[in-house]
Amino acid sequence: MIAPGTHLAFQTGAPVELEADYVVVGSGAGGAAAAATLVRAGRSVCVVERGPWRDPQHYPLSVYGAMRDLWSDWGTLFARGRSMIPILQASCVGGTTVINSAIVVRTPPAVLAEWAELGLGEVFSEAAVGAEQEALERELGVTRMHGRQLMEHSEALLRALRSRGLEGHALDRSARDCIGSGQCLQGCREGAKTSTNLCWVPEVITRGGTVLSCAPVGRVTIERGRAVGVSGRFVHPAPRRGERRRGARFSVRARRGVLLAASATGSAPLLERSGVRSAALGRGWRGQPGAAMIGVYPHEVRMERGTTQGAASLAYRSEGFKLESLSLPLELLAARVGGAGHRYARALEEAPRMAMWVAAVRAQAQGVVRAGRFGQPVVRYAPSRADTERLRAGLGRLARLHFDAGAEKVLPGIHGVAPELGPDELGALESAPLDNRCYTWVLSHLFGGCVMGKDPRRSVVAPDLHVRGVRGLHVVDAACLPTTLGVNPQHTIMAVARIIAARVVNEENVA
Amino acid sequence: MGWWRRICVRVMCAVLPAGKETPGVDPQCCDELCERIRREAPLLLRMTMHASVALFVVCPLVTVGRPCPALWLSAENLDRHAAGMARHPSYLLRQAMMMLKTVAGMSWGTDPGVRRSLGMEPYAADPRGWRRS
Ligand SMILES: Cc1cc2nc3c(=O)[nH]c(=O)nc-3n(C[C@H](O)[C@H](O)[C@H](O)COP(=O)(O)OP(=O)(O)OC[C@H]3O[C@@H](n4cnc5c(N)ncnc54)[C@H](O)[C@@H]3O)c2cc1C
Ligand code: SF4
Repeated sequence: MIAPGTHLAFQTGAPVELEADYVVVGSGAGGAAAAATLVRAGRSVCVVERGPWRDPQHYPLSVYGAMRDLWSDWGTLFARGRSMIPILQASCVGGTTVINSAIVVRTPPAVLAEWAELGLGEVFSEAAVGAEQEALERELGVTRMHGRQLMEHSEALLRALRSRGLEGHALDRSARDCIGSGQCLQGCREGAKTSTNLCWVPEVITRGGTVLSCAPVGRVTIERGRAVGVSGRFVHPAPRRGERRRGARFSVRARRGVLLAASATGSAPLLERSGVRSAALGRGWRGQPGAAMIGVYPHEVRMERGTTQGAASLAYRSEGFKLESLSLPLELLAARVGGAGHRYARALEEAPRMAMWVAAVRAQAQGVVRAGRFGQPVVRYAPSRADTERLRAGLGRLARLHFDAGAEKVLPGIHGVAPELGPDELGALESAPLDNRCYTWVLSHLFGGCVMGKDPRRSVVAPDLHVRGVRGLHVVDAACLPTTLGVNPQHTIMAVARIIAARVVNEENVA
Repeated sequence: MGWWRRICVRVMCAVLPAGKETPGVDPQCCDELCERIRREAPLLLRMTMHASVALFVVCPLVTVGRPCPALWLSAENLDRHAAGMARHPSYLLRQAMMMLKTVAGMSWGTDPGVRRSLGMEPYAADPRGWRRS
């Protein structure tokens, strides 16, 4: 018998069996938000998380440590298509909120209008989503970055935007006490970032819920068309030599329902493994891939000082991309700067004078996520030519902004374009190749695989928020979002998850 | 150090050598990193790293026109080979170089000597803990 309000990490020996009103799979932006809503409504909840629970004092400093301890599968998942694009996510209690930049942006009304056309207008009205996001902002202590948090790296972007009369703003982030250590990607050791392992997951426990960590769910149990629980086996997060990686089996019975929040790469493969059949399952997978433009300045910029991401511009949103400042740890900067050998080593010596800004594309391409032979996610996706054109335009704008801010040269990192460009050489960017293999893309904003909508051929989740054909089964993470957003997704995912969880409770009350 | 490990380390040193004032990949640090990767990293990552090292070693013919293993090249040609692989038309070769730069970069970027020379604080050791209950 397991007492209420318990956290169970890796277990060996006899199978662990639990029961709760609701089981929530995954503890990231969507899962934790939904779980907190359910416990606040007085329901018993069991959160089942694949990764271990690490607190700020456990977070690594190095990128190697982050890959090993926080990133999903060491960052080895790639979107495979014509190009290979790394997909960055975290696997730990708190999910990707542990390594993200905590930027908070409200869902654009135009996106909600697109959702309304898909039959979701009643649930996700502007008023409902707006009210939820307002509440979230209060709860998570969202603040606008300023002063020490911004530093030269982000200030320079804002200055350059202002000089061109373009929209630019310091970012709103759920990181009230950010001291600007530039370490978000390795987890915030200051505990300044309100990742869900620091707020809602502990709240679930305080309110009598249960959390299983190191517990990847293998299957959702479906009996007579109803989701009745989940099962899997504990996995040791850091086995020493001679120690077994696989631990005890676990199963959690769900009296009322199962809410999936295993991410845009995890939820669809999990449904597939659980025997859910739908032509739309795994489809509609999308992303907002991005790439960086580095500027080298005559003076020190020191992008490692200041918050990881401090400034942004939505000036080009209608053209399909947004601009942001982003600092990279030295190890990753070394991978991003073009070339190899002595010339490359000399380029890296300029790291203290570099500022890196990124263009993230609201891509139109759609892909598929499936369960591979061993149950692992396999993502087939490649940005289209039009998406690449947008990225190229975004990188061109960034290069100009760097020169406006006083850069001596830029490092485009585009195959087929010189490794360094001066202010008079920007024409090379306009004629840069449109082959997506020529760009150093990264995917961190992911959507779809179990999308919501009214068309049963194109959606896995019906407008009544149940997975079609299975009662008591809901999707509450990035996987259920039917479109990309053109802005940072965490705030939308959290609001959507809370709205769905509240509806689930209401529905049950009505029944 | 076994022979293959020595090759891996030499390849990383060729990819990211010393600059004017900054040290390059330190063989000792790199060897330690390779050992940690061997012990801790998933098979896919290890395989990709080794395949990338192997590609680096066998492909000087397509980069500098020399039909010999990369580590037999003169210092100048080795440098041209590394640079040539990074900008080669073949996506496979460029991706392999990206993998090598990722590993070399992790070794270089955590090296206290390198960090100090760039005015950055050295990292403390990664704690590696997790909640057990
Ligand atoms: C580097 C980076 C920076 C970002 N910065 C921002 C930002 O500043 N602002 C913003 O809005 N967005 C940002 N994002 C994106 C944002 O963090 C994600 O969109 C969001 O966290 C996704 O929420 P989710 O609930 O869908 O998935 P996640 O937060 O990834 O959570 C999914 C969880 O499910 C777990 N899981 C997976 N499979 C299973 C299984 N079988 N059993 C049990 N558990 C499972 C995973 O381990 C993980 O913990 C960033 C992303 C990255 C990678
Ligand atoms: S920049 Fe540093 S202090 Fe600020 S939220 Fe990120 S990790 Fe925390």
